[in-house]
Amino acid sequence: MKIISLIAADSIRALLHQRLLLGLMLVSLALTIFFSIALAEIRKDITREYSDDRMAAHSATNQMNQTDLRKFRERMDTASSTTQAFFYGVASFGGSIVSLFIFSTAVASEIRRGTIRLTLSKPVSRTQFLLGKYLGGMVVMAGYALITSVTIFIFAQFQNVELNPAIKWAPWLMFCMQLMMGSLAMLLSLFMHPLIASVLAYFAGNGFYSLHNPLYYILPSYKDFNVFLKVLEGSLINSKDVIFLSLYAADFVVIMLLLALWRFRTKELV
Amino acid sequence: MAAIRIENLCKTYRTGWNRDETAAVRMLNLEVREGEIFGFLGPNGAGKTSTIHLLLNLIRPTSGTAYLFDRPVTETEIHHRLGYLPETVNLHDYYRGRRLLDFYAALCGVPANSRPARVTELLKLLQLEDAAEKTVSKYSKGMAQRIGFAQAMLHDPDLLILDEPTASLDPVGRKEFRDILLELKRRGKTVFISSHILSEVETVCDRVAILQKGELKRAGTLQELSADKSTKLIVKGLPALVLEALATTVAEITLLQGQATIRCPSEALRQTVEELLRQHRVEIMRKETETQSLEEIFFSTINPETKS
Repeated sequence: MKIISLIAADSIRALLHQRLLLGLMLVSLALTIFFSIALAEIRKDITREYSDDRMAAHSATNQMNQTDLRKFRERMDTASSTTQAFFYGVASFGGSIVSLFIFSTAVASEIRRGTIRLTLSKPVSRTQFLLGKYLGGMVVMAGYALITSVTIFIFAQFQNVELNPAIKWAPWLMFCMQLMMGSLAMLLSLFMHPLIASVLAYFAGNGFYSLHNPLYYILPSYKDFNVFLKVLEGSLINSKDVIFLSLYAADFVVIMLLLALWRFRTKELV
Repeated sequence: MAAIRIENLCKTYRTGWNRDETAAVRMLNLEVREGEIFGFLGPNGAGKTSTIHLLLNLIRPTSGTAYLFDRPVTETEIHHRLGYLPETVNLHDYYRGRRLLDFYAALCGVPANSRPARVTELLKLLQLEDAAEKTVSKYSKGMAQRIGFAQAMLHDPDLLILDEPTASLDPVGRKEFRDILLELKRRGKTVFISSHILSEVETVCDRVAILQKGELKRAGTLQELSADKSTKLIVKGLPALVLEALATTVAEITLLQGQATIRCPSEALRQTVEELLRQHRVEIMRKETETQSLEEIFFSTINPETKS
């Protein structure tokens, strides 16, 4: 485990050296600002609309009737949820790109640069190396999920909006999805160019399989992890769903890593 | 116990769309004894680096086996006794020199409390103290080569595999490197060097192997490999009687300032001459064995038509 941690720490250091995390934080910050402005504008529009049409009519009594008030709140909530969904949609897409980049190049770049020769000349097994690389990527993606969570929290506080119930699970589901995508990209990168591996890994999981199909548990399906769609569809996510999806992601990642280890153990590293 | 044992090792690469086969190593059999410095020579494309990669388990043999200290090269544990310096030193260049060595030392299992002292010791030995806090990406080729050598020695391994270790070093660096190798030999370490610099190999190696097109052409000490095995016997005050007797042999005699040099082109002739001198109670001041230089041996091996 010590060796795996050392390799993971080295991977994180390499990624920090590429200023990747800094870039992620900047993107996240930019997203917050963008969606805060967007939400503020939408809320302003809705308020203005109500003020012009109906609220003026009730100004004499200085109160809205219950129906208008409910509609007004509904519209505000919908606008808020949609903005949150878009926020996470963009954050999730950005995270997926980062995840694909990290995992597809984790081993391939070490082979290309030749640094793997020195590492594996030490008492480091190929299994330890691969798992260390995956763990390093996992930590970086956890950091990304954390930044996104903090950002949405600040965003909610700043705009004084209530978070959509589905959004609360979004960072975790996003993290699970990125790990799945990453494990597939890592496996494919052991057979082909990292870029092709990334593209295939991204488009592989379009969720063509139902829960009753055994292939669902082996082949990727990212659809259920997409909070953006859930919020837009108005479907709720409960803790049971989250546990099931987490187990599904873990099952998928383990299968992909086992396949990657099988391939990596016999791969020529020059 | 042999430090390296290679048995019938073959490596064939398949390249291109047609999967054409290229043999990099063909039926290689080799043994490197513990405590010796072994030179692994051959022209470009001879299969030296492929053999090293096979020993490090970076590539898989097509057939045959290789052992390090009598254990298969596929066992990771054996790397506790192994240090490796690649031909092109590609380092994790985002580290500072000291931190890089600390990272490799941790991978080698050097205890955390002894790592700083070991790293400092090696930085000093390889004249890298001033560059210790510099980022490795800013190192010159020679500095990268030195730190590459340092990382190979971090855990004081019993076997060092060095692929073109002095390619980027200046003459001073080469001299220091030679001294380190001789010190390692004195301490009973085994060193396996692949090099193009024949004069260097000649100076430090106990035995050499010459590889060509993946095949082992010759292996042994310089004396064993040398085609010319003449011996010079230097004597003082050679009596005329002895001189006459020697004239009947095919030994070549040179007289200079009362000193005679008798060159015996063969072992049998040397024995005859020595016997003759003993009979006439002529003292042999010293003996000099003449061998071919490694360069001569190398060229006559890879191209028998070459006249050195």
